[in-house]
Amino acid sequence: MRRLAKVGLYVLLVGAAVTFIYPFLWMASSTLKPPMEVGSLALWPAHPTLENYRIMWGRAPFGRALLNSMLVAGTVTASVLVFGSVTAYAMARLTFPGRRMLNLATMAVLLVPGQLTLIPLYTLVVQLGWIDSYAALIVPYLFNATAILMLRQFFLQIPQSLVDSARMDGMSELRILFTIFWPLAKPALAIVAIFTFMGSWNEVLWPLLVVRDQHLMTLPQLLTVFSLGGGAGTLGVSLAAAMVLVVPVVLAYAFLQRYFIESMAGAGVKG
Amino acid sequence: MPGVSFEHVTKRFGDVTIVEEFDLEVADGELLVLVGGSGSGKSTILRMVAGLESVSSGIIRIGERDITPLAPRDRDVAMVFQDYALYPHLTVRENLSLGLRLRRVAKPDVARRVAWASEMLGIAALLERRPKELSGGQRQRVAMGRAMVREPLAFLFDEPLSNLDAGLRAQMRIEIGSLQRRLRTTTIYVTHDQVEAMTLGDRIVVLSEGRIQQVGAPIDLYRAPANRFVAGFIGSPPMNFIGGRLEGDGDGGRFVADGVSLGLPRALAAATPATSPVALGIRPEDLRLEAPTDAGGDAAGGRLAGRVVLVERLGGSSHVHVDVGTHRLLVAVTDERVPSVGQTVDLMVPAPKIHLFAADGRVVSAD
Repeated sequence: MRRLAKVGLYVLLVGAAVTFIYPFLWMASSTLKPPMEVGSLALWPAHPTLENYRIMWGRAPFGRALLNSMLVAGTVTASVLVFGSVTAYAMARLTFPGRRMLNLATMAVLLVPGQLTLIPLYTLVVQLGWIDSYAALIVPYLFNATAILMLRQFFLQIPQSLVDSARMDGMSELRILFTIFWPLAKPALAIVAIFTFMGSWNEVLWPLLVVRDQHLMTLPQLLTVFSLGGGAGTLGVSLAAAMVLVVPVVLAYAFLQRYFIESMAGAGVKG
Repeated sequence: MPGVSFEHVTKRFGDVTIVEEFDLEVADGELLVLVGGSGSGKSTILRMVAGLESVSSGIIRIGERDITPLAPRDRDVAMVFQDYALYPHLTVRENLSLGLRLRRVAKPDVARRVAWASEMLGIAALLERRPKELSGGQRQRVAMGRAMVREPLAFLFDEPLSNLDAGLRAQMRIEIGSLQRRLRTTTIYVTHDQVEAMTLGDRIVVLSEGRIQQVGAPIDLYRAPANRFVAGFIGSPPMNFIGGRLEGDGDGGRFVADGVSLGLPRALAAATPATSPVALGIRPEDLRLEAPTDAGGDAAGGRLAGRVVLVERLGGSSHVHVDVGTHRLLVAVTDERVPSVGQTVDLMVPAPKIHLFAADGRVVSAD
């Protein structure tokens, strides 16, 4: 009976897993199918071909868009980690006038939906003359309140005596942050990194507003313009472009998976 | 090695005064213990020496040098923390050497000092391990090693043994004591445990509410506490107190309370105005149990009749709780024969062992 229940459970889980993974696998395989086959549900192309990728690459500057996306998402992620943890460290470990206000202000930023600031931000970028520049894509995302608060919360759990000890050992505050806190906060940094990277990587709306030059477009932006504008022509080509978009995120996740699961699992357990 | 001196050191957090007008000289090479309950200000004093807390007013010196305005790293003191504060991601060797490397000590010198300290502390075999692979006692040794390799002007210990179990605590206490005697580095040691204070300290400072209650050698604090707080704090089990009053008679004076009447040495009685409320203190180990007799307390000191209400057998000794009138007194007995609960007994109170405290808590002394 117990055995049967276990088998049932596994069948259920496998079913769920297939439901999640199938569309992705289908998309991946469809990029390798000739136009006639794309409509089928089969996961294995009968006549595999790289034609879709060739067409995609030829019709729009996807290579450049991939580099643009990497530059933008990479810079934003690095900045959010560095500046976010510096701010979080100050909020968690230093005493200075206005610390409470800074905490509250950071929290308040979270309460304002991004869509609300879109227009003022756009006006600002126009005023600064940043339209059609990397600055427009990167600068507004260099700081992130969620990241600051997450890191601050994590930093608060690190014993004060470690900070005291490091100060007596002769470390500066920045050194304490990068040589003591960073190694101890790897799970938190990983989760911040992956969320920031994914958020930046997948962003479409903002680039659509501030970038019109095809050579400055990020990958999802170009993909949107390309597919909606009818540039793709066939579904297979659209899917190939989507594939190029997805792979880096999957790679990043695989790379950081250990910390990602660690921090998710640790979230509900008291240290 | 220079000593450490405090001149009118005060620490306030907002309106709250944590340490008030702290004045003290810690001699060169001395092991001074700061002892007190929580909130007594002992850790704050230590952290002010370390530079981890600012000083609201006053001056702290090491030798002749005023260290009050200096950053922690410029003070040349090393601290051992209650939770060890070892860097979890570094090996023992890296933990020991980090402070030296940050000070740009030459590599061979770093290696020599690490080898010296780890040899001395018996952790040479653990150098490549990380803190989480060590037992509590081993971590404690590493923490001490980290302080030692710095060869600082002063050691600061902040309740270093309170995270250890009883057996290990006793062992580490002995090791810290012998280590300090060998190195002869000026040491300030903070604890709430009076046994640690008594066994380790060259001198003890008893603190309460940020003020010094008494400073002295352990045995002096035990024998002649300056006030009721010190009397109750130093000594284990703690001193018995009985609230009552003095009554004069031809012989000198008597201490009288519910169910208690004890003759006092003449000099002691003379030092207190009669009729004012006082408290009598007597240490559990100074009381003696005897079978009841009819003889009254005739001479100084005397005999109290009571009933045993609880017996705690500790093996080598026993704690016997005796009700005398409405007062409960604790008697420490080393005798094998211990009265049973409910039995009536007489307590012998030797007059020279009696401490008398005035209403404000200060001791009434015969001289």
